[in-house]
Amino acid sequence: MIISVEGLVKRYDGHTALDGLDFSVEEGDIFGFLGPNGAGKTTTIRILNAIIKADSGNILIDGHNVFKEPLAVKEIINALPESNGYYEWMTAHEYLEFFSNLYEEKKSKKDIYPLLENVGLSGKEGHLIRSYSRGMKQRLGIARALVNKPKLLFLDEPTNGLDPKGRRDIHDLLIDLNRKHGTTIFLSTHLLDDVERLCNRIAIINYGKIVREGELGGLKGKGTIEDIFFMSTKEGTL
Amino acid sequence: MKTAYIMQKEIKESILTPKGFLWYILTSIILSILSYLFLTNSELSLLDQGQMLYMIMNFITALGILIGLVFGADAFAGEIERGTLEALFLSPASKMEIAMGKLGAAISNWGIIFAISLPYLFVVGKGGQNVLTGIVYLLILGTLLAITFSAFSMGLSARIKSMKNSLIISFFMFLLAGAPIFLSAALRRTWFGRILDLINPFADAINTFDSVVIDSQGFSYQAGRVAIICGYTLLSLWFLKRSVSGLEM
Repeated sequence: MIISVEGLVKRYDGHTALDGLDFSVEEGDIFGFLGPNGAGKTTTIRILNAIIKADSGNILIDGHNVFKEPLAVKEIINALPESNGYYEWMTAHEYLEFFSNLYEEKKSKKDIYPLLENVGLSGKEGHLIRSYSRGMKQRLGIARALVNKPKLLFLDEPTNGLDPKGRRDIHDLLIDLNRKHGTTIFLSTHLLDDVERLCNRIAIINYGKIVREGELGGLKGKGTIEDIFFMSTKEGTL
Repeated sequence: MKTAYIMQKEIKESILTPKGFLWYILTSIILSILSYLFLTNSELSLLDQGQMLYMIMNFITALGILIGLVFGADAFAGEIERGTLEALFLSPASKMEIAMGKLGAAISNWGIIFAISLPYLFVVGKGGQNVLTGIVYLLILGTLLAITFSAFSMGLSARIKSMKNSLIISFFMFLLAGAPIFLSAALRRTWFGRILDLINPFADAINTFDSVVIDSQGFSYQAGRVAIICGYTLLSLWFLKRSVSGLEM
């Protein structure tokens, strides 16, 4: 088990964003984390990424306690946040080199090129990021999230705002990462197509609680993914 | 080491850019105009070398602080507004390593302003007394004040998460720190004026420059004020640490 979450609670100014969240993710999964807007997806990811603190609960990532060993966790995970900004004055190569330098195992200048090639940006490494299209920036964000060869990759709405070709490319990249490199992927999205194409397991969150969790194949026996989603999130109950 | 990489990034982003160079060119132009006026204007040239040096040192210190405040306000709030901070927080650099890298860049900025000002200080102070001692005091106190105000502004930036608001509050605090300068000479000699002078780090610095360059007084006269400035530096670093450790996206 690469992620184990127990009784996670997070409150903001009296509002309970996460209300005793429990779930787990197995190594090698592409785990879909679904929920309507405001259900607590981004908050969950930020807590799992050791960026914000929880009020209570317990999280183990690859055996490390996220609250006690945040820097050890950050060495083995990485993420592409929902609204990822870029240092637009840098070139793609400089951007990846900068982030690579912040890890124990740094990449040499020439190790950066395969990363860019993997995300379809080879030949563009010397261009300033400000000249990139949205899709190219998204790919660069994924390349940044791969600089430390993470065992576990968190993606928050990675295909949002991309055209069909851009979405297909990202899908292919993620499948490739998972199958060839064994990277576990935690995918937060409300695009059900993405889930259907990529995920083997899902959890649905609503009002800060997991309302359904399991193998996608098993759950789909009860209807389409859309049916499952709407049944699970209606009024916050099953 | 991570701090060094972050500092390098900050320097490239804020200093080694056309905008950064523009700051320094403007600094040179203003210092050139001031020096020219001091040396040629019929009224200003009546001032002795020590007083000219003292006035230009005050200006350089204020400029270093002001640019430090801008650096500090942008440090966290600016990155949050541009959406770049989350990626930085995802890296295994601790929040304090990130803050120290940013503070290092702000201090480097002060270092550049100090270096630019050196020829002007030597020209304006030429033939006067205590020029070297004054420059050493400017380097030490200017650095302490650059750390103090940049760290304070950075801490605010982490707490308020709005660059505009942290900049406004920082400028206001700087004006408060400079308030004794606006008091009349008579008021500054009262107990109220003296206390106000003593507890203000910027006023402490310029009073020290006055004492060193114009009155030629030794370190024993300056020790109290220098200690107060050091106290403020430690206090602002503590404030930065507290603010950054509580910073959440």
